Amino acid sequence: MESNLTNKYIELNMGPQHPSTHGVLRLKLTLDGETVKKVEPVIGYLHRNAEKICELDFYCDALIYFDRMDYVGAMNMELGYLEAAEKLLNIEPPERVKWIRVIMAELNRIASHLVWAGAFGLDLGMLTPFFYVFEEREKILNLFTEITGSRQETNYMSIGGVYQDFNDKIIFKIKEFLNEFPKKLDEVYNLFVKNDVFISRTKNIGILEPEVALSYGVTGPMLRASGIPYDVRKDEPYLVYDKINFTVPISKKKDVLARFIVRFEEMRQSVKIIQQALDKLPDGPFFNPKAKKSLMIRLRGEGDVYARTESTKGEFGVYIVGDGSVKPYRVHVRSPAFKNLSVLPYLSRDVLIADMVAISGSIDLVFGEVDR
Amino acid sequence: MAYEIKEEKSKDGRKVYRIDRDHLVELMNDLKKEGYDHLSLISAVDFRDRIEVVYHLEKSSDNFSMLVVKTETKDNHMPSVASIWESANWDEREQYDMMGVIFDGHPDLRRILLPEGWNGYPLRKDYDMSKVQYVNMDEEGNDYVSFDPGDGW
Repeated sequence: MESNLTNKYIELNMGPQHPSTHGVLRLKLTLDGETVKKVEPVIGYLHRNAEKICELDFYCDALIYFDRMDYVGAMNMELGYLEAAEKLLNIEPPERVKWIRVIMAELNRIASHLVWAGAFGLDLGMLTPFFYVFEEREKILNLFTEITGSRQETNYMSIGGVYQDFNDKIIFKIKEFLNEFPKKLDEVYNLFVKNDVFISRTKNIGILEPEVALSYGVTGPMLRASGIPYDVRKDEPYLVYDKINFTVPISKKKDVLARFIVRFEEMRQSVKIIQQALDKLPDGPFFNPKAKKSLMIRLRGEGDVYARTESTKGEFGVYIVGDGSVKPYRVHVRSPAFKNLSVLPYLSRDVLIADMVAISGSIDLVFGEVDR
Repeated sequence: MAYEIKEEKSKDGRKVYRIDRDHLVELMNDLKKEGYDHLSLISAVDFRDRIEVVYHLEKSSDNFSMLVVKTETKDNHMPSVASIWESANWDEREQYDMMGVIFDGHPDLRRILLPEGWNGYPLRKDYDMSKVQYVNMDEEGNDYVSFDPGDGW
């Protein structure tokens, strides 16, 4: 770089260790005063090449690497992999398992959105909501501990089933949580939107036009906040989402505040989904006998399958190619956060640094998933 | 149309178009005009003698219905579609990084997940995993990759 004195623009390095980059995102900024002229995201600091590791293991073993991709929404990651793997291996999970998976995935969606809301508040200098959302999230994680045995990287689902069945006590506890939760959610919501500073920091910031969003491959709450009602749960229903009554919240405002409101509305919809699923939960086995533990490592798959699911960040796609052996030949993951991050350089032209932090916060980045 | 498409079905019932590499950009331009405005994913699969590149497209006006386009290369070169969809930019960089597919016409073809200067392409079947590579920093502050753990310090 030439001398800084003659150069109009300053180059600044933000991250990989920085409180408002949610992990290990590094941003190369080109600044004119306090205005961002150019952003170049540098990623890969958490890269473990899970796709290669999956190729070296049996089909059933790949699950634990998926847990560690989006570690705040691990159930949705497991679900995404299983949707693809079960199609490839021709294993159909029993009816009860499908409903249990819906419940777990939606509980985890609430937990993930809560963490996002807390961290987003921190980005904008609001410390208080952080404690409120983590209190609620802790209740969900306690439920997970009771059902699965661990808090975050649960490894709960397996090919053709789940690790443990629901009992009446668990169902009662989830219902108890769901009765309390909407009230608490409104409380947290008001903490944000009744704060003038929050509104002025997020309104009309980071406008993302729908055509641009589609071209960049943006999905999930970001796309829905731009007015396009794309939700895989509706457009290509998996599990039993076609038997559940819920709406896909969208907003036409396209800004950071819209993304915030869409995510909170999604949590309310998730509550509705779980309540319906608990009411309709059928009796039956909780794993497919074709995929019981002793047979699991002998499963063979051939052909290629692309399964998409709606994870907490957007369209989570898993592409698996099998060559007829007991190990996958190729696993490729469509990480929604990776695609959503690629729009950051577009959104951050000619904005202030503080606004850029708000924009990158609104994307909902989890670096286990971006870097895989 | 000047090109030939072989139509097939994938295992999960998706429509698959198979096309040769020379006519890929032509087909993709036509598909974009047809309404496939969302490029979901670009994957590459190493079959040792050839690399198959798989495009998953979605049509926003038709409930995001999916179309798969498959093509293959024997000399690791592919035409880039980054001028048609912006999202192809990072996808192609990822496949270049992991699989060593060189996308001709890409505006900025660099490694994205691994540091610049990494030896080999990790998702190739012939990648040597027994060789450990270390990322060091030189006196200028730039990263460089070497096989010697003590190098640079």
